[in-house]
Amino acid sequence: MGLNKFRAKSPWILHYNAGSCNGCDIEILACLSPKYDVERFGMINTGNPKQSDILLITGPVTERCRERLVDLYSQMPEPKVVVACGSCASTGGVFRDMYGTECGVDNYIPVDVSVPGCACRPEQIMQGVVAALGILAQKNKDIEKPVRLAGKVTEQDGQTNRRELAGTLEATNAKN
Amino acid sequence: MNNLIAAIVFIALAPVLGGLVYGVERKVRARMQNRMGPSILQPFFDFMKLLDKRPMMVHSTHAFLGIMHFVAIWFALAVLVLGGDMLVVIFLHLLATALLVVAGYSVRSVFSHLGSTRQALSALAYEPVLLAIAIGFFMVTGSFNTSAVMNSAQPLIVKLPLAFVALLMILPIKLKKSPFDVADAHQEVVGGAEIEFSGVFFEALYTARWVEYMFGYSLVALFAGANIWLGIGMATVVFFVVNAVDNSTARLNYKDMLKISLGIALPLALLNLVFLVL
Repeated sequence: MGLNKFRAKSPWILHYNAGSCNGCDIEILACLSPKYDVERFGMINTGNPKQSDILLITGPVTERCRERLVDLYSQMPEPKVVVACGSCASTGGVFRDMYGTECGVDNYIPVDVSVPGCACRPEQIMQGVVAALGILAQKNKDIEKPVRLAGKVTEQDGQTNRRELAGTLEATNAKN
Repeated sequence: MNNLIAAIVFIALAPVLGGLVYGVERKVRARMQNRMGPSILQPFFDFMKLLDKRPMMVHSTHAFLGIMHFVAIWFALAVLVLGGDMLVVIFLHLLATALLVVAGYSVRSVFSHLGSTRQALSALAYEPVLLAIAIGFFMVTGSFNTSAVMNSAQPLIVKLPLAFVALLMILPIKLKKSPFDVADAHQEVVGGAEIEFSGVFFEALYTARWVEYMFGYSLVALFAGANIWLGIGMATVVFFVVNAVDNSTARLNYKDMLKISLGIALPLALLNLVFLVL
């Protein structure tokens, strides 16, 4: 069909703050401003998981938001890519091994591109997203599961039901 | 006969033309903000990308209502262009909005409910003004048919200047533009009634928006009467005005939207009707 090439031309972005200090968030907003203007690549900050292609995450994953993060990730239709923005999202950064945070996004969901920096500069974010677009064009449409807190995919009336794709902490704890 | 063929071609191509209008609009808005902006064909890139997503739906009624929203709004445009009854046009448009509202209420997401409520409030704000404009058309031409409007030698804006101003005031509500984009409320409450649609099913709503653009600007062009070039010129000027207003204003509260549309735009349109009688 050759529809793959259009994926790179209109990436819609979902930005999620997983406990960031707002440093990287400000830089992401700067990308949308007239100076950097990511809309020239066709990007829109939709804020809606069901209509997005790229999940931009900032911040180490705090204990309060890990279920939401996995939930948002599971609601995005494939093909999708995940970009971890900043040191915290990539490795945990200065919050690494602290009591209330997890060490980076890749403990919970598969990450395609990690953008370094504290805070990462707008140019770096744009470079990371453009690198993610290359990965997006290669991906297939199989269901991608979170690494932890993964639920199950069921078949209902001949259709794939992914409502429970994102597992909850309670269910995971009960299993163990 | 030529007119009929032109009308049918226009209706058939309405989504494509609307997509181009949307693409130009994104470019114009970007240039107004001193940005580069996306390609003019960007809406079609989005269209092709959405085709390529993995299909996902909440339940089949939800998807069906979304597609019927697109069909109803296309029908409304068709009746308008083919010279049908103006009241039928308005009620078909209202039906399209109602289908979208019901679709928004048919899922369990509270954000979808919120978007639907705001969409219904928007309809409450602009429908009375549209009806007043239709009555104005009737009082000038003696018929509710848009064919009578399209055949009148004198442009209707001469007799209905205040009604035209009222239409200008409600057009941002219909097209979901600032300061009246409470239905969408981008980045404030996350999306509108269409929030739960995705992939090919969101395609119907995305395309319906393009048809909505053609519908809105066709309403503007109606005020030019039989002179089609004047109509296109007026629609172009209104296009730039709407986008300039969109760029230079912040979003208002829904209460302010209702106050302005029902408190200023509707009395303006009714005042015009009074002047016609006098």
